[in-house]
Amino acid sequence: MSSDQLWNWTSPVWLVVAVLSIGYLRLAHGRNRAQLASFLFGLSALAFAFVSPVGVLSDGYLFSAHMVQHLVLLLVVPLCILLGLPREQSERWFQNARLNRVGRILAIASIGWICGVGAMWFWHVPTLCSTAAQEPILGFARDFSLVAAGLAFWWPIYAPASRYRLDPLRGIAYLFSACLGCTLLGIYITFAPISVCPVFANPVDRIGILNALYDAGLTPGIDQHIGGLMMWVPPCVLYVGAITSLLCRWYSDIEPETRIRKDYVEPRGASI
Amino acid sequence: MFPVFQPESPEAQAIYDLFLLVLGISAVIFIIVAGLIGIALWRGRNREAMPKQDFGSEKREIYWMVGPILVILWITAISAKLILTANAIPKIHPSNGESEAADLTVTGHQWWWEIEHNDSGIVEANEIYIPTGKKLRVKLQSADVIHCFWVPQLARKMDVIPGRENYIWLEAAKPGTYQGRCAEYCGNQHAWMNFKVYALTPDEFAKWEEGRHEPPSSPAESDAVEGEKIFFAHTCLNCHTVEGTIAKATIGPNLTRIASRKELAGGAIENSSENLALWLKNPQAIKPGCKMPDFKLTDEEARKVAAYLESLD
Amino acid sequence: MSTEVATPYEPVAVDSTTGLLSWVSTVDHKRVGILYILLAVFFLLVGGVEAVLIRTQLAIPNNTFLSPEVFNQLFTMHGTTMVFLVGMPFFTGFSNYLVPLMIGAKDVAFPRLNAMSFWMLPFGAFLLYFSFFTGAAPNAGWFSYAPLSTKPYSLGPGIDYWIVGLVVMGVGSIAGAINIVATVLCMRAPGMSLQRVPLFVWIMLMQAMLIVVTIPPLNSALALLSVDRWLEAAFFEPVRGGSVLLWQHFFWIFGHPEVYVFALPAFAMVSEVIPVFSRKPIYGYAFVAGSSTIILLLSYSVWAHHMFAVGLGTSANIFFSAMTMLIALPTGVKIFNWTATMWGGSIRFTTSMLFAIAFLIQFVIGGLTGVMFAAVPIDWQMTDTYFVVAHFHYVLIGGVVFAIFAATYYWFPKMTGRMLDEKLGKWQFWLWLVGFNGTFMVQHFLGAMGMPRRVYTYADNPGWALLNGISSASVLFMVAGTLVLIWNIVSSLRHGQVAGNNPWDGFTLEWATTSPPPETNFDKLPEIKSRRPVWDQQHPDLADWKFAKTPADSGSRPDRAKVCAWAFVISEAVFFVLLLVTYVVFNSQATGDGPTAESALDVRRTGIFSLFLLASSLTFFFSEWCLRTSRRGAFLFWLATTILLGITFLCGQGWEYYGLIANDVTIDRNLFASTFFTVTGFHGLHVTAGLIALAIMFTLGRQNHLTQEHAKPYGAIGVYWHFVDVVWILVFSIIYLGVFQS
Repeated sequence: MSSDQLWNWTSPVWLVVAVLSIGYLRLAHGRNRAQLASFLFGLSALAFAFVSPVGVLSDGYLFSAHMVQHLVLLLVVPLCILLGLPREQSERWFQNARLNRVGRILAIASIGWICGVGAMWFWHVPTLCSTAAQEPILGFARDFSLVAAGLAFWWPIYAPASRYRLDPLRGIAYLFSACLGCTLLGIYITFAPISVCPVFANPVDRIGILNALYDAGLTPGIDQHIGGLMMWVPPCVLYVGAITSLLCRWYSDIEPETRIRKDYVEPRGASI
Repeated sequence: MFPVFQPESPEAQAIYDLFLLVLGISAVIFIIVAGLIGIALWRGRNREAMPKQDFGSEKREIYWMVGPILVILWITAISAKLILTANAIPKIHPSNGESEAADLTVTGHQWWWEIEHNDSGIVEANEIYIPTGKKLRVKLQSADVIHCFWVPQLARKMDVIPGRENYIWLEAAKPGTYQGRCAEYCGNQHAWMNFKVYALTPDEFAKWEEGRHEPPSSPAESDAVEGEKIFFAHTCLNCHTVEGTIAKATIGPNLTRIASRKELAGGAIENSSENLALWLKNPQAIKPGCKMPDFKLTDEEARKVAAYLESLD
Repeated sequence: MSTEVATPYEPVAVDSTTGLLSWVSTVDHKRVGILYILLAVFFLLVGGVEAVLIRTQLAIPNNTFLSPEVFNQLFTMHGTTMVFLVGMPFFTGFSNYLVPLMIGAKDVAFPRLNAMSFWMLPFGAFLLYFSFFTGAAPNAGWFSYAPLSTKPYSLGPGIDYWIVGLVVMGVGSIAGAINIVATVLCMRAPGMSLQRVPLFVWIMLMQAMLIVVTIPPLNSALALLSVDRWLEAAFFEPVRGGSVLLWQHFFWIFGHPEVYVFALPAFAMVSEVIPVFSRKPIYGYAFVAGSSTIILLLSYSVWAHHMFAVGLGTSANIFFSAMTMLIALPTGVKIFNWTATMWGGSIRFTTSMLFAIAFLIQFVIGGLTGVMFAAVPIDWQMTDTYFVVAHFHYVLIGGVVFAIFAATYYWFPKMTGRMLDEKLGKWQFWLWLVGFNGTFMVQHFLGAMGMPRRVYTYADNPGWALLNGISSASVLFMVAGTLVLIWNIVSSLRHGQVAGNNPWDGFTLEWATTSPPPETNFDKLPEIKSRRPVWDQQHPDLADWKFAKTPADSGSRPDRAKVCAWAFVISEAVFFVLLLVTYVVFNSQATGDGPTAESALDVRRTGIFSLFLLASSLTFFFSEWCLRTSRRGAFLFWLATTILLGITFLCGQGWEYYGLIANDVTIDRNLFASTFFTVTGFHGLHVTAGLIALAIMFTLGRQNHLTQEHAKPYGAIGVYWHFVDVVWILVFSIIYLGVFQS
């Protein structure tokens, strides 16, 4: 296998990256260095997902590569983009009534949760998974929907304006249940006796690397194993990291004075 | 005395090296932690004054984490490397003409091991003869419950699971006898499900293999001849095989070469004519709960059957 | 600044009933807590006797003191007893007693449910131990691996008693845990924000949440095993298509978090003991609390490290190894914080503190051997040997039991009003220290000598007899130490030194009341402005709230009926998810002959009956709304409609079952039939249970006992009813529509 076949330098993703970075540099005033780094990292992850071997192999060869691409699009890119938005500038943007409404809708936890976890499950229904890998249009729809769903998913946790964010304890429950959701899918894919995405079970050898892959031990069974574990472990680690950041947010959330609500009444004798 | 620390194969050696390394790291960590606790206690033993009320420092916690994270990444990486090399599953798509078949098939039974040499068709019980210096692929399967195949000096442990085939590499660097055991609890007589691996030089192994191909001699002594009659008169042949006879059942161990074995009943007793007679007299007294019933043989009968079995060499 | 504010409770006349019978009928959390602890002590002795018998048998090679049959029963019962009848009750007892006191509450959220949870335990224990009288105690080990635990290999009733006993105890544990969750979330005194609760409370909250989600996988595994044993299905029978590894997966999804169900409370206890006897606050509260949360989250994704030797495949081994390594970090954070707490403190070497220190050191040893096992190749050598026995006893005795002793010496004065004798306490400490390390340190070496665990005897191999002898002899020290403890308790109860309110100069609210506390716990509560309210009261100059600001209490508390309902629903959801996973595992691929979902099920008919069930959710919603707006007639109408719709659904299911059985599709036919009947059967049971609850509500409503005030508990039943519907939507799409079919 030659290495240049594994890189897809002519991917149209560059267009998206270019538009986004120009937009960011022009519009995002008041960004600090960390935000810039985060945003650029997000864009490079986006490019990486399509240009690098991950992108090429995920196109009909390896389920595990497909899974990496899927996770980068769903979790890494949106997270980095959200973290890259400058706080004050975003506050100003979301003063706009229409944007504010969008922000408020996205702040409803169940919507974000269903988008994030739903996207993972939805695109792994066997028939959809296969069709999306074969039909370029559906594939594009999938990739786009993944990024969009990812933005919706991270919004209640890392929205640039704090009024859209969930309070930390709820946020932990939100992330933890999402973690359970992808764990289940991961377990299912890892231990399922069947091929979750039949395309990858019998790949079409477009660029003649199939034997090399099999020799490296990446047979369809192992490939699906790795894919399932990718679905499972890295997101969970990411979620646990996010949960840790929420815990820090919660414990450092110091208010100056103790105030107890006047009308607070201790619950009385229970009935069960 | 410590088979885990006396590896005799490249795989066991690699595991041993990893073990030593992790043991060393752990010892260092333990000394640091215990030392710090000791110092804290010693310095605080007689302190009467009210200590400073220290609520902690986030920075220090995070600095402190760096070390453990690095250590853990390191251990994970080196153990992952070893996991990859120890993989014995045959490839589904062989490309360079290597043989993918297993050399040995080991079947776990309650409570003994059946060993089949796939090339030569030799069947043994509780004894595995292998040539030194050759990496053998062993297929592990179970006839009943879960067992676990373990020869600490030669290879990793691998569970033997009904409805599933597992593979490991078995290799001995030098000739010798290596103790093996069942390591997964498998019922009543789990304690006596031992086996031995005899590693022979390639020449000796070839000789051994040849000897095994010769048909077993028929009994000559009078006791043995009578014993043979008793053997076939009772229901022994419902469970056992003696090659060259009508006994062909595979429920119990193959008895074709039983006299050559050094131990009986999964290591519970040495193989001698007295012990064999005792065993035949009442297996339940020696290995209570084992699958071989008490045939209520008289002392005389037991001695004769033992003589017959002793002639199977 | 040590102003006291009156508690918000009305004074309640103290219940003066005394005598033994009052202990049976009590719903006071303190008495229930003590009952839990007494039960745990009793079974600690029982399990201890079993351990002594085991060690006696192993003291010399080729011993015939016990038959293999009895030996196998003993180690099975030893493990099961220590896990379910010692570990869990001890901790539930301590948290029952202490959590309400520490958060300044009068009682737990649901006192009667609490008493019921406790009484489930002796009932379950009775079922488990009754097996001895049938002559066949369970003998498949405490994790009862299939197929050894299935009918062909365990014919006797032992495993059946084991299954039933565990289910009963599991139900009690879940109910108890839900109660603790609701108590901590809903019953905190004013000022006690969640960021201010003592670490003991926070960690016990984490533990209770862990129990809520960790027992259900065990229940699903037990459900499958009992269907196999009693109805001749083949979930774990490879010849008929079953999978023996499924048991291991399900068991360890329960079993590994269960380890943290033990470890977390031990952390909780020493997190209280060490600061008090160092006269310092805990170092890095947020890190100790946060790391407990992280442990809770990670604990359910490491179970397969119990299965490194089953040949899961390279990738699975590496990933589970990495996850296991990862979970060592939050534990390490704790060790650091405890050490830092002692650093620069003024240490008081009370018996309690000695046990806590020994806990620290021994737990580090157990933790480090744990890291060795996470390095998979080392696990391949050492698992299932005495090395692993030594490892988990270092965690469970050296860690957990030592922490329990520390807690016993620390809180005994609060519970009884009298101090335990320190001199006897130190005797016990040294006896246990020597005995424990003597027994289990040498077992590490036995493992390296190749001695597998769970062998009833062994040949006279070089070195084995000596080390086993040392191990067995050392047990005597632990026995002697236990006798000292019992003597100490008995004599201290009679003429121990009177404790007073706060003998240790403790920090948390339980030390603000009398020892033992009155039935309503507090006459007056100190003002809660920090994590150490009693410290603030005692040392006004050094009060915490002056130096370490903590987030204030917003004063809002969730409704406890709702918390209870949601916790219960989450627990049930885990149970159903695992049953559905079983269905998918066995049916995603068409194999073998016999009926399948396509050939046997009438999707359209069941779809129509499903609509009835879904409609009942809507009608329930209407009835709830009517109750809230006090329209009794409409409320009863909608409730009756809900019940009728539910019954119609059940009739539809009965019709379907009748048709299937008439066509010879029975539960033992093939794996499709087994999984189908198991999943839908358990769902049907839940619908039935919901209908019974609704029928009770209907009767109460007819008798005019339900008013607007009851809308919240009624809503809690609604959460359950809607949950049953949601489960059915999943069941319908997976089984009838075949979403995961390929």
